[in-house]
Amino acid sequence: MAIVPIRGGWEGLKDAVAERLPVEKFNYKSLVQKKEVPVHRAAWAYYLGGLVLFCLMIQLVTGVMLLFYYQPTVSDAHASVEYITKHVSGGALIRNLHTWAASGMIFFLLCHLITTFAMKAFEKPREITWISGVLLLLITFTFGFTGYLLPWHQIAVNATKVGLQSIEEAGNYLPGALSEMPARIKELIQGEAAVGQATLSRFYAIHVVFLPLAVLALVGVHLLGVQLHGMSQGVDKPSGKTERFFPFFVLKDFSLWGLVFLAAFIVALCLPFEAFFSYPLFAPYDALGSTPDGIKPEWYFYFVYYPLELLPFWVVALAQMVVVGILFAAPWIFKGTSRKTLTAIAAAAAAYLIVITLFGQQIYEFFKGHA
Amino acid sequence: MFDAFFFVGLPYVALAALVLGTAYRARKHRFTQSALSSQFLESRTLVWGAVAWHAGIFVVLAGHAAAILSPGLWRALTSNYAFLISVEILGIAAAILALIGLCVLLVRRIASPKLQAVTTIADFAVLALLIGQVLIGLGVAIAYRWGAVWSTQTVTPYLWSLFSLQPDVALVTALPPMMKLHLIGAWLIVLLIPFTRLVHMFFFPIGYLVRVPQKVVWATRRRFEQNLAIRHADDSRRYFLKTLGGLGAAGALLSLGVFDKLVRFFSGPVMAAEEETELLRKKLNRLEQAAKERELELERLRSDYIVVANLNELSPTEGKYFIDYEMRPALAFRGGDGLPLLISAKCTHLGCTVASTMDSQGRILCPCHISYFDVKTGQPNPGSPAKAPLPHIGWVLMDPAGTVVASQNPAGRLEGEVDMSRVNEYRVCIAKKFGGLA
Repeated sequence: MAIVPIRGGWEGLKDAVAERLPVEKFNYKSLVQKKEVPVHRAAWAYYLGGLVLFCLMIQLVTGVMLLFYYQPTVSDAHASVEYITKHVSGGALIRNLHTWAASGMIFFLLCHLITTFAMKAFEKPREITWISGVLLLLITFTFGFTGYLLPWHQIAVNATKVGLQSIEEAGNYLPGALSEMPARIKELIQGEAAVGQATLSRFYAIHVVFLPLAVLALVGVHLLGVQLHGMSQGVDKPSGKTERFFPFFVLKDFSLWGLVFLAAFIVALCLPFEAFFSYPLFAPYDALGSTPDGIKPEWYFYFVYYPLELLPFWVVALAQMVVVGILFAAPWIFKGTSRKTLTAIAAAAAAYLIVITLFGQQIYEFFKGHA
Repeated sequence: MFDAFFFVGLPYVALAALVLGTAYRARKHRFTQSALSSQFLESRTLVWGAVAWHAGIFVVLAGHAAAILSPGLWRALTSNYAFLISVEILGIAAAILALIGLCVLLVRRIASPKLQAVTTIADFAVLALLIGQVLIGLGVAIAYRWGAVWSTQTVTPYLWSLFSLQPDVALVTALPPMMKLHLIGAWLIVLLIPFTRLVHMFFFPIGYLVRVPQKVVWATRRRFEQNLAIRHADDSRRYFLKTLGGLGAAGALLSLGVFDKLVRFFSGPVMAAEEETELLRKKLNRLEQAAKERELELERLRSDYIVVANLNELSPTEGKYFIDYEMRPALAFRGGDGLPLLISAKCTHLGCTVASTMDSQGRILCPCHISYFDVKTGQPNPGSPAKAPLPHIGWVLMDPAGTVVASQNPAGRLEGEVDMSRVNEYRVCIAKKFGGLA
């Protein structure tokens, strides 16, 4: 590779873009014949992104199938979901697959995020891939939040109310006229004074049209980045060993997808996602009754839900913003950090996520007494 | 007598035999201390048997060990329902795997004449005992569900009473016969360990886990090296073709199944007449409910007064839900002075709907994050997540003719005269002029 002198101004910008999007590699030779994947201790992490993609594919297919029967109105939503699970042939399977694969997608996505961070995969020239990845993370969480409301049962609507209300909470920490903003934003999302038909329609549109389009576009960018640049080296001292991307890595990737599909299929067949909650929470939403006990978000929101329960709102809100900021700016903040340090940070984050997700309730009761 | 023999005598005999026998064998017969390998004689089915059995039993025993060694931690973990379910599923799956492995091993020993030559009665006895033990264990797991939990209250204390030399049979006498059989089987296996191939479990070849797999090949060095290069090329090609073939076959099967499901899914269900009626009735109900909500909304836009209830219907302790002018839930009580007491039911913390039953201290509870609100003042209890009080709502009393008799604005200022003798005629209304809330 020739050494290119660093140029300034417009030319410099063009160089920077060219380095990050090496479209000249977009050919059979570099994408298929020549592509190699590094082999080392942490090489298993190269499969995680593929698993997220696979879960997304399951989501798109099962999602479209659910659309054939789902009816997004407050009077019919719950009944139509029940119709799918009780009457439509294979409907329960499709719906369970959709919920389980959603959880799987978030799980693998978090693993993918943590390992790519530890492996410093955001290093130049892969910044675009990284940032598109962070955006995909946020979109996936939004998918979870909007999809949760659609069955229109007690836990769905009430958890959504609580989730949206916490936006309004931010108003207490803003000065003067700004303090009205969060409430306005909340109402904009909600579409009316309380969570109702307008909210359902909006969440439906976001979940079914807007987010899938955004995901497809971003996944395109993300995959293009991965394909053009290849896998990042992943360790501080590369072993020098590699394996061919095609056919070996690809075949292993597909075999793994097969296994994951088998597992998801079996689980979806035997275990409805609701098996982990008690029934009254899945009764149709009753606007005139009281809120039932045990309203909780999905498990993948525990990492912000429990801190919100335990700490003052502003601490959690601030921490959240800082973390998202750090994620976006990671390629520049951690430019000179060794992979050893990054691994330590990633391990700490992983430990936090695991502990708060598995034992959040126990921690909450420990500090707040029995609920 | 029976219990004392099987659950105190046998265990101590077995444990003593285990310690002494293993020590003796280790000193005097070092080279018999392994599971005599039969891989030379037959290696094709061995893989399926031995790997399945060892992988399965390892997981199963790990679960047993966790429940026995740290029952406290284990109980805490299994109190999490998701964890409990996962553990039970994993345990049963591993037990089935182990059982399959054992069966393969047994069939292999019976079917191969070569193997019969090296198989002793003890080998068969061990296999039979293990199969029985796994079967009974599976039976216990299925018949008496949540063994991961109840074992920590029964079997674990029993084992610890044995280990601490204060045997307590009472802990196991009440167990069902199948579980007793499982315990007896366990002690028999412990007893047999030093005298059979089972002893190899103490002779960990840990290094085997990480070393490169070896297989002795009868070949001269030259021939071996010659073959090696060819085999490498062959292997990678074979690997590729095998995987591709496997994936292709799996894909074909999958698409066949998926296609079948797809057609059925999209063609919709065929329902019995009753089912269909039931479904339609339910849908109609929901529509009516939605229509009622729409009506409420319309009513709030049009009317200046909305009837909540008759005054004599209101209870001092059990609130009646209604919807205020801003379509938010609210509760109507009857205050101590006999007049209505209307209060918002939308929690000031995160907007859940507050429950309607008043407790002995005159408070109503928001179940979401546990805030108690005093109905009279609206104030939340100190230290609750909600900080602001629930606002009171203004009301109007009307007589049957529709004239306003008395009213109270949200701030609590009473206007008009209430004739207490006519209480049964009055209707409680909310009024547009008071807006929704104070």
